Amino acid sequence: MSDIVEIEQPQDAGHEMRDEIRQISDKFRARRQLRSRLMVILCGVALGVTAIPLGLLLYQLFRRGLPVILHASFFTQLPATPTLIAPNATGGVSNAIIGSLVLTAYAAVMAIPIGVLVGVYLAESSSKLAAALRVISQTMAGAPSILMGLFAFSFILQDLHVGFSAIAGSFALAVLMLPVIVIASEIAVRGVPNTLREAGLALGAKPHKVSLKIVLPAAVTGIVTGIILAISRAIGETAPVLLVIGGGYINSWKPLDPVSALPLSIYENAKSEWPSLRTEVWGIALVLVVFVFVLSLSARIWASRKQQAR
Amino acid sequence: MDQEFMSKMETKVDAPATLEATATKPERGAAAMQLKDVSVSFHGRTAVRDCTFDITKNRVTSLIGPSGSGKTTLLRALNRLHDLTPGAKVGGTIMLEGTDIYRGDITVTELRTRVGMVFQRPNPFPTMSIYENAISGLRFNGIKKKSILDEAAESSLKSAALWDSVQSRLKVAASNLSGGEQQRLCIARALAMDPEVLLMDEPTSALDPIATLKIEELMTTLKERVTVIIVTHNMQQAARISDDCAFLLMGEDRAGELIEFDTTEKIFNNPIDSRTLDYTLGRFG
Repeated sequence: MSDIVEIEQPQDAGHEMRDEIRQISDKFRARRQLRSRLMVILCGVALGVTAIPLGLLLYQLFRRGLPVILHASFFTQLPATPTLIAPNATGGVSNAIIGSLVLTAYAAVMAIPIGVLVGVYLAESSSKLAAALRVISQTMAGAPSILMGLFAFSFILQDLHVGFSAIAGSFALAVLMLPVIVIASEIAVRGVPNTLREAGLALGAKPHKVSLKIVLPAAVTGIVTGIILAISRAIGETAPVLLVIGGGYINSWKPLDPVSALPLSIYENAKSEWPSLRTEVWGIALVLVVFVFVLSLSARIWASRKQQAR
Repeated sequence: MDQEFMSKMETKVDAPATLEATATKPERGAAAMQLKDVSVSFHGRTAVRDCTFDITKNRVTSLIGPSGSGKTTLLRALNRLHDLTPGAKVGGTIMLEGTDIYRGDITVTELRTRVGMVFQRPNPFPTMSIYENAISGLRFNGIKKKSILDEAAESSLKSAALWDSVQSRLKVAASNLSGGEQQRLCIARALAMDPEVLLMDEPTSALDPIATLKIEELMTTLKERVTVIIVTHNMQQAARISDDCAFLLMGEDRAGELIEFDTTEKIFNNPIDSRTLDYTLGRFG
């Protein structure tokens, strides 16, 4: 091409100008370093502010909780009923431990299949129904948990005439878990690269097979993380079960029996007039925290192994 | 049978009149696919149009042209992969062995088992083993018998020149393979369906030169059993491996269109359109 424009070079940009540029940039760099150091300090302070209360909480939990749970009967016995003659009677919380496990297990059985399928549907469909379901599940995720308790109370206890029971509490917890699982599953499924879907379609797979056999397995890590999050939240909730499980003083796995739960017994022991019961609160809280910790830790380990295997 | 088919075709489809050098020349074999006035638009905006040419059986046909000329868009129309894209519309007719693939008596899933596809980046299913990947298409289409699956896995992996290196580790996750091996696994996965046509969308653009060479060698042997249509950015590749060549270019309204279709030899040595010559000589694009 002939019409290449020749660029005129300025005769002499001059040392002065270059020196000035250097001076300004040196000053700028010094200021930037100062600002950078300030930001690091600020981040450190923020970290301290976050870590200190957390550390104190854990310290309190272990200092007061450990002596309680080291008591041999704590895991195996039913709660004691102190009297004026024996005000320091010590029992256990076996009913609440079993109750919490039962409640969460039934709730998980109800919430996981529905939640995962709805999540997959929301991610793979662009229908109006999907949009509506998404708004509903986001609203449900933000709703106060006592609402689930009220709902379970009016629906299971009043409408269906089922008494105070594990199943009623599980229902409330399942409703609580559902939006968490739906949202986590949708995000995980959306994260699956589209090229995998196309690969499946190009092999003549029907869209539902692509969703179930390719997309769902590829999203399983994110989905399981969401499920564990939902379970962790449900196991620590008092409000949804408060109205419907009946706080049973028996060890029972049956869905129609009244049961207790760890958070509920914290609530009840804390407002008890007997000091021996009030000190037990910390032991129960410690058990609850350890439960949740073990759950999320195992989920993390499982997820990272799964990731490495790929 | 081919003659019968051809005579049927002639009554059904008009020979393209506007382009002189299309595939109705007598020395050509039977057509595997025939494109007539094919266009693809997204939300009313044309991405590629005016594509009329025949894809001859047991030959490698390459689609070349600069970015934005609609090569991949056209390729994806051939197995109806645009179906799930909202707002996508395919115009004109595309025939597979005499059947209109959009309006004829063929389901989209059947079409895709007959017209396989290999993508730009290797995309084996990450949760499946090498074996499971190879036979995944058969499983999706309801084949469960282990003896059939085992045989299909072995023969397709052999066809993709992968069997020797993976034979001892079929149960290993497919992601453990190198990029080139993964792409050959994707070819095996497509071949397991025993397709008539294999679409390849820049299958070597994410691979190193040695892996590229292996795939190219593979293509030249594959055309004995399957008709290959390949999109490529690489003109040397098109010249090396393809028998026929379609050159596409973006028009003034930013829609791609077919400039010329002929044997690769003609396109590269003695094209009719000066733009084809400019492109193959590397003057633009």
